[in-house]
Amino acid sequence: MSTRFRFTKALAVLAGAALALTACGGGTTGADAKDSGTMTYWSMWKVGEPQQKVIAQAISDFEKQTGATVRVQWQGRSNTTKLVPALNTSNVPDLVDGSYAKLAPVLGNTGEALPLTDAYASAIDGKKVSDLIPGKYLAASNIKDSGGQPWMLPYSLSSDAIWFNAAKNPGLAAAPPTNWDDFMALLNKEKAAGQVPLAADGDIAGYNSAWFSNLMIHAEGPGSLYKIASDKSGAAWDSPAVLAAAQKVQAIAQGGYLINGYNASKWPAQQQAWANGGADLLLNGSWIPTETGTYAAKGFQYSSFPFPAVSGQPAMARADFVGWAVPKKAKDPALAQKLAAFLLNKKYQDDLGTQAKVLPIRADAQTSPEMSTVKTAIDNAKEIYQADDGITFPGYTTKVYWPIDDQLFLGKINATQFVAKMKAAQLAYWKGQG
Amino acid sequence: MSALTTKLPRRASGPAEKPGRRPGGSSIDRQRRKLLVPFVGPAFIFYTVLFIVPAFAAVWISLNDWAGSGPMTFVGFSNYIQVFQDPLFLKSFGNTLLLLFVVGAVVFALAFAMTLVLRDMAAKKIVRNVIFFPHLINALVFGVLAGFIFNPGGMVNTLLKPLGVSEPPAWLAQDNIFPLIMATMVMTTTGYFTTILMAGVDRIPPYFYEDCALAGATAFQRLRYVILPLTWDVFGTCAVLWTISSIKIFEIIWVFGGSSGAGIPPTQSWTVAVYTYVTAFSGLSTPAYGAATASAIISLALVSVLVVLLRRAMRRDAIEF
Repeated sequence: MSTRFRFTKALAVLAGAALALTACGGGTTGADAKDSGTMTYWSMWKVGEPQQKVIAQAISDFEKQTGATVRVQWQGRSNTTKLVPALNTSNVPDLVDGSYAKLAPVLGNTGEALPLTDAYASAIDGKKVSDLIPGKYLAASNIKDSGGQPWMLPYSLSSDAIWFNAAKNPGLAAAPPTNWDDFMALLNKEKAAGQVPLAADGDIAGYNSAWFSNLMIHAEGPGSLYKIASDKSGAAWDSPAVLAAAQKVQAIAQGGYLINGYNASKWPAQQQAWANGGADLLLNGSWIPTETGTYAAKGFQYSSFPFPAVSGQPAMARADFVGWAVPKKAKDPALAQKLAAFLLNKKYQDDLGTQAKVLPIRADAQTSPEMSTVKTAIDNAKEIYQADDGITFPGYTTKVYWPIDDQLFLGKINATQFVAKMKAAQLAYWKGQG
Repeated sequence: MSALTTKLPRRASGPAEKPGRRPGGSSIDRQRRKLLVPFVGPAFIFYTVLFIVPAFAAVWISLNDWAGSGPMTFVGFSNYIQVFQDPLFLKSFGNTLLLLFVVGAVVFALAFAMTLVLRDMAAKKIVRNVIFFPHLINALVFGVLAGFIFNPGGMVNTLLKPLGVSEPPAWLAQDNIFPLIMATMVMTTTGYFTTILMAGVDRIPPYFYEDCALAGATAFQRLRYVILPLTWDVFGTCAVLWTISSIKIFEIIWVFGGSSGAGIPPTQSWTVAVYTYVTAFSGLSTPAYGAATASAIISLALVSVLVVLLRRAMRRDAIEF
């Protein structure tokens, strides 16, 4: 055998191996591309989660009714992070879901989302989808693209409330505090009685910021915090309303109301302590009953009251959308929109409310008993706002707002220092953004 | 070998050729050279496609304003300026250097000390396995364990209570997390480098030690004149390995402070790697790929410069023994 032949053979083998490897990488699309009835869905849920079960049922019904094939990847919450690089390839899902806070940065704000005009115009249970979603939600959320069309179709909501055990505090369920002074009076009364009034997982910046964000929005209205954050001079932080809200957070942080050590603890230690009677109240999301349900004390009855109102302002509630978006590059956007609208059928909306125990987007859907107080608060609210007022400027929340707010909520700085730091950091932030 | 032998005389007819030696060395050398392309070629292509091209793409992205998809705007070096003016980046950069130098110094001091102790110890193989063990454990485990051990109602505080400590330190306070991470890094990497250094030390022939004993050398002199010079190349490799890995430290910080999935670590414990990740993938605000890659390029530059400097500083003539 000649050497040259051997070399050629070696080269051929190597080239073959290289080809085989390349084939592995790119083979996921293509095969069924011609079949118009096939779509891909990257889900924010993982197999086994209650929401996943409801959506999986809906998809299976959808496939039976339409004859279409839905290829689902149950990816979990990182689906939006994975979507960003995928958008630069041809391997783009037809449908994704997530919270507004996660979908807006990667699809909505960058103009990569398809307007869901068809989905909103379609009829479900004899009604137009756009009429099934209460108008006040749509007014609060910035889900319209540059053409004025909505790019997100919500199927459920998340909200927040101050949670407590109604079995232990029946009085609180009957007459909850309705304004900040009453709320502080309640905390002081409990503290004087030797109880620990509040729990908070201080290592979760997004939970800490709920205090200042809620206080600011309740005092000045939805959109006020967003306006302050967008002020390039940072001067908006000089407003007396800002200082007043910060002082209230300072009072919470430094008043000795929280479980000792909340500032040096690892989630979920504090909410676990709360669920076992270590503290009475917990400001947290509407997911708390499901999240703490497995370790809560025996006989724990979840109940809640809305964040204390400020007189003179209309009733407000936080409602963050969880829902669908279709990337512009989707191969079968029509089918994707059909499936998106399909989940607004009363059956699945009821299932989301009663089985997954979340807040369905349709006002007429059933909810679980744990959610009843939150549901009432949202139904009664005249104005709706989003977590941290829907701020999505690149890095603003993670690098400017949260770190400084953490210092305030963890008791390291006072309200005046907070305002000064925020003003300086925001000025530097916008200067850096150019 | 027909092709080779028939071709050789024609090629070997250069005027500068020395008599008795074929051009380009022996036939083995020539075969080696011929094999270079088919064997190195594919690896080189893969390496170029998977590492070099992306590295250049990263440089290009770092000169643009880009949200990861959609339009790109060329902004020149303004991402670098923005990153360097960000106090948070400087803090993260400082933390990276702390890990590299402080943790590195402690790790190597301990590794050398252990190597010396272990050399003469009975059951040294078992001990070596025991100290290597923490390196095998996933960083996630330490992150989760930190909660069990250091939470306000955790193990440490429960143990301290009977000793009369009623106001224990706030172990997991934002400012204390980074020192805890540094301590964890020391614990997990010391065993790894001890193992490598010991392999080097074990190579040293015993008669050098016998010589030392005869000459009445102290333990320090033995380290200074025998062990260090003879393990210098091993030590140099370890130093480069540590430099490269320390600049990439990420997951332990992510799970230690940021809790398991519900948030991000406090900024006090960020390193450049974490800064880069949050800038691009926090998922909570519009991704800034330009600034993120700028920060990644800076750390790549840092690694390259440090490795080159380290190689120069550690250069010695190899001692053969």
